Amino acid sequence: MIKYKKLVKSFGTRTVLKGIDLHIKAGEIVFILGTSGTGKSVLLKNTVGLMKPDSGEIWIDGENVSNFSEQQFLPIRKKCGMVFQHPALFDSLTIYENIAFGLRKHFNLDETEILKRVEQALSLVNLENILTKRPGEISYGMQKRVSLARTVVLQPKVLLFDEPTTGLDPVTTNSINTLIQNLSRKLNTTSMVVSHDMQCALKIADHIVVLDQGQIVDQGTPKQLLQSQVPLVRDFLAEARDLL
Amino acid sequence: MKSTALFFNRLGEIMLFLKDVLTTLWVRPCRLELVMEQIWHVTVQSFPTTAMAGFFVGGIMTVQFSMQVNEFGAAAYLGGLATSATIREVGPMLIAFMLSGKVGAFTSAELGTMKVTEQIDAIRCLGADPIQEIILPRFLGIIISSFFLLTVGLMLSVIGGATLGVVFAGINPQEYVRHIPTILGIPSMISGLIKCMSYALVLATICTYMGYFTTGGAKGVGRAVVSTSVLTMVSIVVFDWGTSFLGQLLQSWFAVG
Repeated sequence: MIKYKKLVKSFGTRTVLKGIDLHIKAGEIVFILGTSGTGKSVLLKNTVGLMKPDSGEIWIDGENVSNFSEQQFLPIRKKCGMVFQHPALFDSLTIYENIAFGLRKHFNLDETEILKRVEQALSLVNLENILTKRPGEISYGMQKRVSLARTVVLQPKVLLFDEPTTGLDPVTTNSINTLIQNLSRKLNTTSMVVSHDMQCALKIADHIVVLDQGQIVDQGTPKQLLQSQVPLVRDFLAEARDLL
Repeated sequence: MKSTALFFNRLGEIMLFLKDVLTTLWVRPCRLELVMEQIWHVTVQSFPTTAMAGFFVGGIMTVQFSMQVNEFGAAAYLGGLATSATIREVGPMLIAFMLSGKVGAFTSAELGTMKVTEQIDAIRCLGADPIQEIILPRFLGIIISSFFLLTVGLMLSVIGGATLGVVFAGINPQEYVRHIPTILGIPSMISGLIKCMSYALVLATICTYMGYFTTGGAKGVGRAVVSTSVLTMVSIVVFDWGTSFLGQLLQSWFAVG
């Protein structure tokens, strides 16, 4: 589904991604773990064309998108929905208008159909009766769910999550993680989740990739990762055990 | 040397941004209702400030000129001189300064916040073009409403000049009005309107550019707002010189013709 071949990205003199080679299969939930500043978010942003790689290739659904222009990326972004670290909801629009934004852009639907799809998307993230509210009138956790609803309403084949649980309390974190798992299985999407949360990764991921200083230091199924001898992976595992 | 290079680099970026905005306007125009919404917002928000500024700018010019012309026994020409100076030079510039502080700062802060909270990236990720969706409506809305506000402000400056002149400087209203058409000709009015249009274009370009390219969180938004105000005011002064020079050139051609 998604392939990265020798992907390199630098900012000035600092190389953030140092030749990433990775293959993500269709329908998988893949967790990208690593400490802050190791290039996890940069990898996601390169995938949807928010940043351009310096060299290397990115293949999505059989298409090499590495050198795509902004206009060529528009259909790719419909296929690959991204949920940001911050909810990134449009302050001036209501929740309904936020979720309907992409539908109006890509589909020629009447208002009744748009309302139906918006309500369906909200029920997928366990929210209701907030259509007329503005983002500032609901909690941060709810904003994150609305952001998720805004992405899934377009029925993307790939869902990219950039630290979806950062800044949330443990209960909401747990519910968001369950939501990611349920949505991926229910909608049969491929999911890439950038996170620091090894405990959650072990619970719901099909495949875990650990990045350190712009390189993949280990990867495999949760079972394989539990046997890893890589120091960074051991640190992540020890922290996950402490939390249990 | 480094600051000169930075200045030309920034100027080039602004020109490229303007090219992108105009290309989008040509290829993928935004919805008319979004532009109307912006025109409404900007006009309603800034009308009281502009009206007040316009009225008092006219008054200031009349009071200042009355001191000078009375010394030379040329009080009859006060209305014409004050109105001409206000409409050709001081009025458009001072009202544009007000607008840069109000409309420019607001727009760059709004767009800057959208940028640093990833709302602009979210628009791109939803398969939409942010220039078409958020920049173009603001750009056109600011140009249209600023031009309207500046024109209304200039009209009010004439009324303000006459009113405050009569009340505080003891000027005869009939005498004040009599010589306005003698000194304030069509070229002066065209010059004033050209200035209003160019200031509106400068304001819309700079504030949308600064907001759209904001980086660095809350501090970055603060920097964008300050840069917008400073750069807009400096550009307005430069454009004022440019349009005055061109105006004089045109006037001399007409006179020769």
